[in-house]
Amino acid sequence: MEPGTHAAAAVPSEALAGRPGLARTLRGNPLLAAGVGLSVLIVLLALLAPLLAPYPEDAGSATHPLRTLQPPSLRHPFGTDQVGRDILSRVLYGARVSPVIAALVLAISCAVGVPLGVIAGYFGGIVDEVITRVTDVFLAFPALLLALAFAAMLRPSVTNTVIAIAVTWWPWYTRIVRGQAASVTGRPFVEAARALGIPHRRILLRHVLPNAITPVIVQVSLDVGGVILTASALSFLGLGAQDPTPDWGLMVSQGQAFFTTQWWLVTFPGAAILLTAVAFNLLGDQLRDLLDPRRVLTR
Amino acid sequence: MSRPDDAWTGDVAPKLAVRDLAVWFGSRRVVELERLDLGTAEILGLAGESGSGKSMTALAILGLAGTVGARVDGSVRLDGEELMGLPEDHVRRVRGRRLAMIFQSPVSALDPLTRVGDLFVRTLRLHGAPREEARDRAVEALRAVLLPPELLRRYPHQLSGGQAQRVAIAMALALRSEVPLADEPTSALDVTVQAEILELLRRVREERRMAILFISHDLAVIAELCDRVAVMREGRVVEEGPTRSVLDGPRDPYTRALVAAVPRLGEGARA
Repeated sequence: MEPGTHAAAAVPSEALAGRPGLARTLRGNPLLAAGVGLSVLIVLLALLAPLLAPYPEDAGSATHPLRTLQPPSLRHPFGTDQVGRDILSRVLYGARVSPVIAALVLAISCAVGVPLGVIAGYFGGIVDEVITRVTDVFLAFPALLLALAFAAMLRPSVTNTVIAIAVTWWPWYTRIVRGQAASVTGRPFVEAARALGIPHRRILLRHVLPNAITPVIVQVSLDVGGVILTASALSFLGLGAQDPTPDWGLMVSQGQAFFTTQWWLVTFPGAAILLTAVAFNLLGDQLRDLLDPRRVLTR
Repeated sequence: MSRPDDAWTGDVAPKLAVRDLAVWFGSRRVVELERLDLGTAEILGLAGESGSGKSMTALAILGLAGTVGARVDGSVRLDGEELMGLPEDHVRRVRGRRLAMIFQSPVSALDPLTRVGDLFVRTLRLHGAPREEARDRAVEALRAVLLPPELLRRYPHQLSGGQAQRVAIAMALALRSEVPLADEPTSALDVTVQAEILELLRRVREERRMAILFISHDLAVIAELCDRVAVMREGRVVEEGPTRSVLDGPRDPYTRALVAAVPRLGEGARA
């Protein structure tokens, strides 16, 4: 292993070959450290929201007609909204909504998309044909439009937002995994596994899936931002989370009416969305380098 | 077309008997084997240029030709038991357990994400060995191919080509395979390692009385290792017999061409 003056390039491979420990990996790779740090921060904010929020009740349906639309001050560092709720409190509680939506959507998408993709890629033929055509149908529509259609069909709520987005999201995972699985299946070790009498089910689970999953892990981390933005878009259009829910997208949507005069209504929840998207994009980019099987193989 | 009736020189009942094996891709017949016998503790060389159907023959014997989209008919008997037409689940238990396969590119025939030891233990357990016994058998098999047991903790990319091929042979030993089918097992290895692997196969045959089907395009290697040789061309066996007599006095024109193409020391050609 060369000592590597270019830290970002040298450390990931070293991390897998010699396992220098998490702390050293993070020190050597500031982008990864930033991604991990921000992601941990968001999770902490979500967990500790009741302790950190100055006005926890404002995350709910409380209204304070006497202090609406106040600019940022010491009492309300992010200002107050059109019904007088503390925006800081709502942004903090919002960390419990948007990231959770993202986690649920991605969990469902993987649960549906990954098995279908592996099966399509491994068995090929008519199985592949059917699965691929079905995903093609879903992918033929612009994702946001399809999510809008599903959201409009269902009653607007956080749960239905999750369902609507997941329905449009899983085919991407099937796509990614199918291609990977097909290429892995063509490799000699799969034939060797068959020649050892290992049954299909076990070859799929033990040999094809693990070798095909890395791009999915990376894609998931990159998609966290995308799902949050999509969920925000649905809320923004009134098809997602409904009013007392402190959803960031919803807050931006409701604040836009006041944007020209009361900028803080839109800016702070918007910044929260931006920060979350950036955090997981950084994480995803660096994970891609860390998990790239070619780095494992070439050392 | 010469296949003298006295070609078979081994036991009365062959270990592996192939009769009228045909492999089809669509309407194209790529293999047409009238008869191929492999006796106990015999090494049979299957020679021929690439595309002559050697590897397809091995896949068809294992019942795996279907996975590459081919159709097979004919008869493959192991110890007199017909394998063709058995339910997949049944064939699967024969595959690996009794018939093993050793591949050309040893490192890529191992899953990069599975430790050698895990592959051994899982495969042995799959074929019915209890966990502790599986470990012991893996260690014992590695010793037999002169590899340290520490290798069980390694990932395939941490093995050299020669080590990986020894692992493949050790797998066949650990499974107590009766008939390993070795498809160009030395072609991807350099000459010294090649010699070690050949020596190992010879020893395995002596000690375990395995019958080995040795597929190679390399007549020099076949001459060194095999008791008998069958020369394939365009899916058919054009000549078959004891290695010495076939290579010293080839009767078929194709075999003669192949033999003539082997570079020899002292004839101007360089090996």
